[in-house]
Amino acid sequence: MEIVVCLKQIVDPEIPASEFRLDPVTKRQIRGSHALVISTYDENALEVALQLKEKQGGKVTAVTIGEEQATEALRKALAMGADSAVLISDPPLLEADDLGKARVLARAIRKLTTPDLILCGCESADWVSRIVGPFLAEELGLPCVTFGTRIEPRDGKIVVRRIVEDGYHLVEAALPAVVTIASDETNTPRLPKVRDIMAAVKKPITLLRMADLGIEPGSLKEMEGRIVLQDVAIPVREARCEFIEGDTPEEQAERLVLRLKELKVI
Amino acid sequence: MDFHLSEEHRLIQETVRTFASTEILPIAAELDQQARFPKEIIQRASELGLLGMMVPPEYGGAGLDTISYLIAIEEIARACAGTAVILSVNNSLVCDPILRYGTEAQKRRYLPDLAQGRKLGCYCLTEPEAGSDAASIQTVAREEGDEWVLTGTKIFVTNGVEAEICIVYARSEPEPGARGISAFIVEKDRPGITVGKVERKLGIKASSTAEIHLEECRIPKENLLGRRGEGFRVALSTLDGGRLGIAAQAVGIARACLEESIAYARERRQFGQPIASFQAIRWWIADMATRIEAARLLMYRAASLRDRGRPYTKEASIAKLFASETAMWAAHKAVQIHGGYGYIQDYPAERHFRDAKITEIYEGTSEIQRLVIARHVLGVRS
Repeated sequence: MEIVVCLKQIVDPEIPASEFRLDPVTKRQIRGSHALVISTYDENALEVALQLKEKQGGKVTAVTIGEEQATEALRKALAMGADSAVLISDPPLLEADDLGKARVLARAIRKLTTPDLILCGCESADWVSRIVGPFLAEELGLPCVTFGTRIEPRDGKIVVRRIVEDGYHLVEAALPAVVTIASDETNTPRLPKVRDIMAAVKKPITLLRMADLGIEPGSLKEMEGRIVLQDVAIPVREARCEFIEGDTPEEQAERLVLRLKELKVI
Repeated sequence: MDFHLSEEHRLIQETVRTFASTEILPIAAELDQQARFPKEIIQRASELGLLGMMVPPEYGGAGLDTISYLIAIEEIARACAGTAVILSVNNSLVCDPILRYGTEAQKRRYLPDLAQGRKLGCYCLTEPEAGSDAASIQTVAREEGDEWVLTGTKIFVTNGVEAEICIVYARSEPEPGARGISAFIVEKDRPGITVGKVERKLGIKASSTAEIHLEECRIPKENLLGRRGEGFRVALSTLDGGRLGIAAQAVGIARACLEESIAYARERRQFGQPIASFQAIRWWIADMATRIEAARLLMYRAASLRDRGRPYTKEASIAKLFASETAMWAAHKAVQIHGGYGYIQDYPAERHFRDAKITEIYEGTSEIQRLVIARHVLGVRS
């Protein structure tokens, strides 16, 4: 099975909230010297792909759009077990919106391979827009299953277990297909072995520029959805302390539950 | 001069950091309180390739450079210093001398098991009457036909309980002092080698420290490691690498102290403000950060010399001395920043304080490091 996994390199979402900064002009997060990691669900997607490869045989290609340092995310994907890696990098691409990026990814995938399956994270851990996967499927004219956690190949098709509120759906899809992946206990990303890290460093990473994909410098704008980001802001967090009174622990617990329900926390 | 870690170094750091924070840190306090050897962690570490990091792939290792190795040990020690020394001993004090002094047959026989975690190793040098004065060891190796027969007592052996492969230093030649010593590989399942008293320690409780008794323990001739009478050279050059492992362990402990102190100082409020706003606390945190940075660069510098095949004895001693004293200093300040909470087991500062002390003692005390450094700087032999 030929699988493409789309990855995004982002600032580690685990950094303390107090260190999160926005650039007022570009309206983007300032990367600063924070650690860069593969976006959380993209790693789950890679794990699903690697497990499928282990079961079925085949090849896993990791693809990302990013700056030169995104090679680090691809190296990690190679160390985890991906067979090849592709970096699509050109300064204008960094400004592209989700539709633009999906269209660029679609061109790259068409140019590189004819995959049976394309996996994306169900959402990126920075912007959480959840639409690059579905846009990509639309662009490639393929079926799309969102929020999948497990994929079982069956008679040339796949059965995807997708999470829904209070349970899951089992969805069958013809191949090729695009599946966006959410996390569950079966797709926790593996840690690469140090030996595989050493081997990954020696593997080549294919670099594609816009010109390689037949995108003229001025035409990227036409590929975008013309979404205008008006404003971004960091929510102000307030912490208040409230004591729950009660004569017995049971009474306190009962009042705590009522209070939490009142606040719509539970 | 390039002060940036390579892509490979950063990936190793990220991987081991994730491993340490998700699998070791959650049980570090329990390992300490129960003085329990973390068998399951060592198993996972071997799957990741952390037992024989610098052993070449042809002998089953990961083939990493020294800087990668130190990065990994620092990350493990950040979570649990006891677990870090289990790995450091196996890597630096057991795999390394076999790799550098072993015959091809010895490398093929022992390294794959050691590097892939099927067997753990230990290093038996210290004796009741020979600590810093290691050349005065009294364990004897007698030649008898095709065998060596070893008799003596080794103490303070890290991994002594669990190890199956022991590097043992013994007096094989009539010459006194350093010249009469040879190194041997002794499998623990041979008759005549037994584990004695298991020590109850102040810190690094996840690792075992035990006495090893050798009583007419017979090993084949081919278990001699390196040349006859050159054991002391094997011991000392092995310790150069070992000291870097301990420096990395110390940097890891110091970093734990710094990170815990930052978190606590931001959160803890006294006199209506976080204690991080007080100058006394800020200065300690600044000094911790400064010393840690310096210690790390010293050990990377020594590692870089080692990887280039250059002499690094002095640099290893400098790194070990500075890093271990940094760990103890940082632990002292971390407890002070935590106040009463630093003195109880609910917070990790107390554990770091106990763990830090050993780094100033084992694999050469701070005084021995100063002796080594002074000899190099002054250009004298003794």
